[in-house]
Amino acid sequence: MRISLDGQDIEAQEGDTIAAALLRARITTFTRSIKYHRPRGPFCLAGSCGQCLMRVDGVPSLPACRVKAQEGMVCERQNGPLGVEKDLFRAADFLFRDGLDHHHLLTGSRLLGRVALEVARRLAGLGELPAQVPAPDRGELRVVEVAIVGGGPAGLAAARAAGARALLIEREARTGGAELLFGAGQEHGAGQAGLLLDAECVGLYANDTTVPGNTLLAVRLRDRILAIVAGRAIVATGGVSQPLPFPGVDRPGVYAARGLLGLGASVGRKLAVVGDGDEQQRCAEALSKRGYEIVLVNGVPRRALGNPVKALDTADGTRIRCDAVAIALPPAPLHELASCAGAKARFDGKGFPVETDDEGRTSVPWLFAAGTAAGKPAVPSGEIAGRAACR
Amino acid sequence: MPLSEKAIVCACEDVSVHDIDDAIAHGFADIESLKRYTGLGTGPCQGKSCEVGAMRICAQRRAVPPEAQVPFRARPPLVPTSLAAYSGLPGQVTGPRITTAGLRPTWGKGPHPLQPQTPLPDRVDVAIIGGGIMGLALAWNLAGRGAGRILVLERGYLCEGASGRNGGGVRAQWTTPTLIELAKESIEFMGRFAQELGINVWLRKGGYLFLAHDQETLNRIEYGADLQKRYGLPTRVIGPGEAGEIVPQLDTSKFIAASWNPEDGVVFPWPFLWGYADGARKRGALVEPFTRASGIEVSEGRVRAVQTDRGRVAADRVVIAAGAWSPSVARLAGVELPNVPYRHEIVSSEPLKPFLGPLVSMLGTGLYFSQSMRGEIVGGMGDPDEPPGLNQASSLRFMARYGRALGELVPQVRAVKLLRQWAGCYDVTPDHSPVLGETPGVAGLLQMSGFVGHGFMMAPAVGRRMAEWMGGSKDEIFERYSLRRFAEGRLIQETFIIG
Repeated sequence: MRISLDGQDIEAQEGDTIAAALLRARITTFTRSIKYHRPRGPFCLAGSCGQCLMRVDGVPSLPACRVKAQEGMVCERQNGPLGVEKDLFRAADFLFRDGLDHHHLLTGSRLLGRVALEVARRLAGLGELPAQVPAPDRGELRVVEVAIVGGGPAGLAAARAAGARALLIEREARTGGAELLFGAGQEHGAGQAGLLLDAECVGLYANDTTVPGNTLLAVRLRDRILAIVAGRAIVATGGVSQPLPFPGVDRPGVYAARGLLGLGASVGRKLAVVGDGDEQQRCAEALSKRGYEIVLVNGVPRRALGNPVKALDTADGTRIRCDAVAIALPPAPLHELASCAGAKARFDGKGFPVETDDEGRTSVPWLFAAGTAAGKPAVPSGEIAGRAACR
Repeated sequence: MPLSEKAIVCACEDVSVHDIDDAIAHGFADIESLKRYTGLGTGPCQGKSCEVGAMRICAQRRAVPPEAQVPFRARPPLVPTSLAAYSGLPGQVTGPRITTAGLRPTWGKGPHPLQPQTPLPDRVDVAIIGGGIMGLALAWNLAGRGAGRILVLERGYLCEGASGRNGGGVRAQWTTPTLIELAKESIEFMGRFAQELGINVWLRKGGYLFLAHDQETLNRIEYGADLQKRYGLPTRVIGPGEAGEIVPQLDTSKFIAASWNPEDGVVFPWPFLWGYADGARKRGALVEPFTRASGIEVSEGRVRAVQTDRGRVAADRVVIAAGAWSPSVARLAGVELPNVPYRHEIVSSEPLKPFLGPLVSMLGTGLYFSQSMRGEIVGGMGDPDEPPGLNQASSLRFMARYGRALGELVPQVRAVKLLRQWAGCYDVTPDHSPVLGETPGVAGLLQMSGFVGHGFMMAPAVGRRMAEWMGGSKDEIFERYSLRRFAEGRLIQETFIIG
């Protein structure tokens, strides 16, 4: 199968995402950053980070790591007016080494201010307007007693505990969540609960319709939204891979370790795996099984070098040569769905787990959270929340 | 050309550790202000990859206490989702409704953990309740006139209310002469705001295009254009063809005429508040965020003091500039305002390369949208069935209605993805005109509210005139727009209300 990138043919394999096909072809610069036009490539490889956005078949800023490659697909890189590889605007990064303070830029002169405005206006934005004009797709509304968001171990445990009164909503084509990356996650199913796959919950609201139920969920199924009214909701959305702020972390060639585990392509031979503790060990082992040669790096590196990154200076001053860098930090709780509905979340040093009581209830009475999203062990917290939500 | 050594925290918006330290040094350590000042978390990932890193830096620097280490208010959608997806939602979502509760503060009960620990003064000359654009513009102007000790009380962070939640549109196209004059002067001031206050507000004069879908609305825009011409504006009523040349993406079959003023524009709202607050402080005023007014003492027909959650402050004059919260603040003094709060919702799209010059508004539906300096399509739409109330929660209903309306008027944006939605409250008066000046029966209690969602674009002029009037200058608008007009039946109807 062939796709094209900026007019160049790229070979893709069955099941590849666009990102997998490009990385296999050793293409690592996917876009240019919005302000300094720094080169960027995929980081999280899970649709969260926004570093791999490109125009696909006329639609701007789609995550290359989530869109499956299809024969003849036309991919175009964005925000590099004269070509993303050698974007001339990268001078902005060089000229403003310490950063560009747009609040106080040229405030002294009205004339220069206007010039800055015109320049900034022209440089702003990522993609061009879409070329496609889709017809509105009919959505629908369903009613359930308990809606569970996230089909990882916590969500599955909640589904089994809640039984037929629950509907489990999972964004991937199969359940198991992040455990699938480590070769696990398939021991248990959703029990008697209903299952909605390839369905991404994008919003969780207080229900303002006259359909009885406390909450209203917006669930995206491809290009349409299914509205679900539920009596109670359980957020078991797991976590999101996190970068670590050191110079060069945003360069192409630095990936989330879990992202590489889910990628159907190899990004080289030798990987520097940055992190600490269990997460680093676990990811390193799993990556090693994928055929990578692993160098463990503890602490915050001083800098990453090369484009794509080919070396890492560690905290103690050692230079490690590598083909790519993997960051293996514990995934941060994905609290957003719960907290946009008003549930409280608090920083614990690693992320913002949703606050829950012993029954998994958040500060919003009809909303529960379980697993990584709540900073709790997956299966027991899922079971407890599943039972409590049915009471 | 080698890459610089920036340690990027937010890759979407290119925010580095250095930028975060700079924001903390400028006093923007609370996560909501940090987000707005640096832009972190406002890109396509909406903070999923940077919020933790940013908070870790704040915690390491001891910039915020543990109780304030909360996430910024998460905004739906969780991932960018196209306008077309929302527009297909069924009638049950957009139809009959029940009233829902608003959102509670993210940090919990009681005073905000970042409430300043310094004592408030025992006495000030002017206490302004509300640190939105009105209160801050007034404070800066008063302080510049040597009006004594000035205190601004803001219950949240700067930008927490409607001044930080609006779409940034500024226009002089109004249907009452006073509002035209106030807006003209304000827009003129916005053009030199950076020189006066030292921070960029990015006024971009792309014009305002009001679309009329029927004869009645056409009559309204023709009346408005005539009036505006008399006040020196270049407003013209144009046909769909010319409107289609200004915005080629419009479906010109959806309207019959348009009112066009190329000198209206859009700004970036947040720096206004920071600029005015900073400027007022430099002139000696006290601007106190995270501080709530809990009482207003009145005796013998005169205002005496303001009670706050940081103690009592005696004041000769108290100004109510609390936007949609003004009626509840006025009630602290036993005064009933006719203002009613209504929620209005907004959504911002993914950043696109510039394609849209003006702010476009459909007068019939209240739909409006413009393109921000960052490239996002920022737009909203009024809802005639919205119940009154101080509700800043977002709704799916709005996304469905907005998606449908915008997708019909501008089919080419249907595949554009929406990034983040939020809500703010309009402060609505019976005649859609503001409430200014003295309060009958309570000497020293001054009103500065009722701007129905457009106070932002009037504040520079209103702040100046109110400061001069408080200093003893005569100004008839403080009589004409006084609270008395409602009792006396002298309403001043403004009809160009959108959103």
